[in-house]
Amino acid sequence: MKKFRNLNHNVTFSLIVAFIIGSIIITALGENVFRVFGILISGAFDGSLKFGTTLQFFVPLFLTAIAFAVSTKVDINNIGVEGSLLLGAIAAAVTGAYVTGLSPIFHISLALIIAIVVGAAWAYIPAILKIKLNVNEITVTILLNYVALYFTSFLVMGPFSADVGAPRTMTILDSARIGTFLSPSKANYGIIIAIVVYFIILFIFSKTTFGYKITNSGLNSKFSFFVGINSKRMRIIGMLISGAIGGLAGGIEVLGVYGFYLYGFSFNTAFDGMLISLIAKNNLKKIPVIAFFIAALKSGALSMARYTDIPKSTIDMLISIFILLVAMDGIYEVIKNMVIRKKEREEAKC
Amino acid sequence: MENTIVKLNNIVKTFGDVTAISEGHFELRKGEIHSLIGENGAGKSTLMKILYGMHVPDSGEIIIHGKTYKSLNPKTAISLKIGMVHQEFMLVNELTVLENIILGFEPMNGLRIDFHTARENITEYIEKYNLVVPLNKKIMDLSVGEAQRVEILKTLLRGSEILILDEPTAVLTPDESLQLFDILETLRQSGKSIVFISHKLKEVMHISDRITIMRASKFVDTLIKKNTTIDEIAVKMIGKEVFLGRKEKDIDFNDEVVLKIENIYVPSSREKSKIRGLSLEVRKGEVLGLAGVDGNGQTELVEALTGLREIYSGKVFIDNIESTNISPKAVRNLKVGHIPEDRNTLGLNRFTSIEDNIIATKLGDGVFSNKSIIDRVKTLEYCKSKIKAFNVKPPLPSLVTSSLSGGNAQKVVVSREINDDLKVLIASQPTRGVDIGSIEEIREHIYNSQKQGVGVLLVSADLEEILSLSDRIAVIFEGKIAGIISVKDATEHNLSVLMTGGTLEKV
Amino acid sequence: MLDILQNLISLDVLNATIRITTPILLVALSAVITQKANILNIGAEGIMLLGAFFGIMFSFFSGSWVVGALAGAVIGIIASMFMAVAHIEFKADIFVVGMAFNIFAIAFTRFGLNTFLNSTGIFTPQNLSTIPKINLSFLDPESFIGRLLFGYSLFDYLAIALVFILWYVIYKTRWGLHVRSVGLNEEAAESAGINTKLKKYQVMFLSGILGGLGGAHLSIGYTSVFVDNMSNGRGFAGVAAMFFGGANPIYTWLGTLIFGFSQASGNILQLYDFPSQIILMIPYLLTVVILAFSLYRRKAKATKRNRTF
Repeated sequence: MKKFRNLNHNVTFSLIVAFIIGSIIITALGENVFRVFGILISGAFDGSLKFGTTLQFFVPLFLTAIAFAVSTKVDINNIGVEGSLLLGAIAAAVTGAYVTGLSPIFHISLALIIAIVVGAAWAYIPAILKIKLNVNEITVTILLNYVALYFTSFLVMGPFSADVGAPRTMTILDSARIGTFLSPSKANYGIIIAIVVYFIILFIFSKTTFGYKITNSGLNSKFSFFVGINSKRMRIIGMLISGAIGGLAGGIEVLGVYGFYLYGFSFNTAFDGMLISLIAKNNLKKIPVIAFFIAALKSGALSMARYTDIPKSTIDMLISIFILLVAMDGIYEVIKNMVIRKKEREEAKC
Repeated sequence: MENTIVKLNNIVKTFGDVTAISEGHFELRKGEIHSLIGENGAGKSTLMKILYGMHVPDSGEIIIHGKTYKSLNPKTAISLKIGMVHQEFMLVNELTVLENIILGFEPMNGLRIDFHTARENITEYIEKYNLVVPLNKKIMDLSVGEAQRVEILKTLLRGSEILILDEPTAVLTPDESLQLFDILETLRQSGKSIVFISHKLKEVMHISDRITIMRASKFVDTLIKKNTTIDEIAVKMIGKEVFLGRKEKDIDFNDEVVLKIENIYVPSSREKSKIRGLSLEVRKGEVLGLAGVDGNGQTELVEALTGLREIYSGKVFIDNIESTNISPKAVRNLKVGHIPEDRNTLGLNRFTSIEDNIIATKLGDGVFSNKSIIDRVKTLEYCKSKIKAFNVKPPLPSLVTSSLSGGNAQKVVVSREINDDLKVLIASQPTRGVDIGSIEEIREHIYNSQKQGVGVLLVSADLEEILSLSDRIAVIFEGKIAGIISVKDATEHNLSVLMTGGTLEKV
Repeated sequence: MLDILQNLISLDVLNATIRITTPILLVALSAVITQKANILNIGAEGIMLLGAFFGIMFSFFSGSWVVGALAGAVIGIIASMFMAVAHIEFKADIFVVGMAFNIFAIAFTRFGLNTFLNSTGIFTPQNLSTIPKINLSFLDPESFIGRLLFGYSLFDYLAIALVFILWYVIYKTRWGLHVRSVGLNEEAAESAGINTKLKKYQVMFLSGILGGLGGAHLSIGYTSVFVDNMSNGRGFAGVAAMFFGGANPIYTWLGTLIFGFSQASGNILQLYDFPSQIILMIPYLLTVVILAFSLYRRKAKATKRNRTF
């Protein structure tokens, strides 16, 4: 049986390597490493706009990471969170723009609930295909993401277009707006919703019978049958929750950040979320820190691009290198073994 | 010896601290069918895998055609004309029979594979040995018997003169087995030498020229079929030592029946009636040991009793309540504990903690959850008390069970299944793969359970275990109970008679 | 409506389909060959993007499309070998490696656009050496065949040829048989004496070449441009086509043609204000349906077989 290694070593090691590579690139481009990292850090935290942007980036990354982690708990890789996010977003945008006569509490709740339901329903398709026919969910969800992408694009450019030149839907009514703070940034109170949802999810999985059943149905279905858990049903429910959270993420972006559905607003956000979850080895408790870290990096990268000669893409590169290194579990073991064997050889010589 | 082509002397093989072979001997003559028989775990498979070069022996020598080797690898074995047909076929399901046979040895025509020549060569062998297979069908469309013939063809096409077959009839229907025997006879007549590994006494008596018996990692004897009987072999397989060290038990059990099996018929994956008309009763406070050669229906019986396999005729009663074909959960609700044969997929969820595994069956019972919320304080307490009572090491409730040793993992399972309100305990191979210390502990727990009045059905391939724990012993043979003996009266003779399908006179 | 349809089913659209399909086809073939060894080439999107970038960069700096194409192939090899080592030696999940690599490719090409080509968002060199177009002068340009085969690039012919070459290699040669056995049952392949690791590296190597060339064709084929995130999902489309075709080169080709046609007709439809996105969705939906259907059939067959008694 595979033993679960101490993942902290691996993450730290990868971080250091990514840091070193980053320093090399920065120096090669003629900038001072400390200055650049300084700007990067201040760019993430210094001042309302910068810190607010970090918080703004945090919410969708965090929620999509949680969405993916939940799906892994039932042993399904829901790459389709991106689709749920897009569809949830446009559902919220439409509800926000066209439903009138509601007070803010109801309007926002309604829009988010619809986003959640749409996101969950979207995840039902790969779920049922996987459970009934054992169709590989990785393939199907990636394909369906494109379907969602084109479909929402059709809706934005077509029936729900705001006809203002920019590819977006009508602006939502004020009653549907989630309030912002730390202006002029786009940090909004959606972060509170995200945090509440997080704790609810944590509670469900650690303290309820329901959560126990879900956790114990994915990984070992024979065992579940043996102890009386309907693992098929539980896995579908797990996927629905995953899609629901994805939809919620999209809804918050629309209601809190943009105020409408803007074509291309999410450039693979859910993929980043998935990668964050993978770095955290899909452990719910480790996701917030990593999501925050990545959000801070992305926010800092904006300042970095403005005040230095280092392009923003450098940060994206380093993030992907970081993930690659974390994924290569084996590397840490190989290096450790190399060091051990070297020591043994030297001791043998004495 | 005249005609000796292979000799294995003094082979020793260990895997870590498990001794697979402590004293391995074998001698094969040209043109004979030589069976290697013994209980599961006796070391027969391992010994032949050493001959085929899949394992390297710790010590001993391999002598082939007079030349001595310390070890082989499959490539050298093949070049020495040794071929092996494994229990799990090494076939690619989506490829055709033809492609599978030539894989790795393809005749070429420039860049192209010369399928035509391959077909011709193979057809020659098919006709010569009557190994009928459809060359153009995919493996997944074949019957098991046909797939096995493909494996045999593979070895023949690589030039094998010595064929090793590892438990070939384990996967065949009775008819297919007879067909296989005909083929083996044809091969033998054309000068091939065959090693037939099995634990099925009847077959071995049917086809062998000579029979070598192994028991508990040691060589016991080599007998000439014509000069021996099935009973003699069975006795040698069982051995006398298991009868030593029996503990005296002072239990008074009454005649109240807690588990009643009435004439049940159960299918297996290959046969319609693996269990045919089996009846059995387990009384309150007794341990009924189920002994028998592996493959006579033990697994299917346990699965049928615990809701994992369908019973298509007959009835089962737990404490006088009918429990035929109810779900595993319903069985559990009737206060039945089940220590399953397959610890890793059925007994435990390897990916979760000790705590989560121990409470798995008690959720929704209202013990620590009011249907929805789990009281983690209570579960922790419960888990800790179980860990203590069953001596699970390391005693960390949150530890993932995949990090536990076999013995401790099994103790987690046992701790979950044995409860105070239990009526029936079904223990299937409860100490398989477990270290000695834990074996003793688990047996002690079963004994304690018995003292509390639980009726225990103990299914074990380990005869020593059966003898040390049981009050009565039921022997299963070909899906039926061949006979029941009280443990005081059990000897290697009457047990061997029952295990090979004979009957005892009523005394 | 009718004239829209008329314009759709025209030779010009078919011609455009073939052209648009080529890069998708090359990437799809790169996915086919690794899939035969049971490795999902999800990083194909990233390889395509890198191939496009390095293709145009090297063609620009060297003045020769041959160098550009070679550079595309080489970077494809480097990328796929990297992923191969990560997956085969270091046991990284090929999916994670591929996805991370795709993100890396986007970031890296953006970075390269800024740093090496001094541009933002788009690079439009003048007088770039591009892949040559073949004019079959013996054909009457007004005839059916003439209009169908008008002005294809070298790679268009190459890609189609590769479909058949790959088919032959996979199903008729010894190497192909070995690769297939590795993909279907690695243990059985090992026991037959096949070096499974080597085979995996070999398919990744070939896959890198094909993916890189596919990418190069994007930037130095019919265009002489590099745009940020130029591959834009075409790598994934290639992988989807591979699933559509059940990893068989010829059926995969059919799949890529569907993707190509949807794009080509999408372009036409846009001129008529018809929402092209619906058409663009279809190949993906179709692939999902086909996947579900083939697994449904497999399940039905298996249940039938289990009723042996």
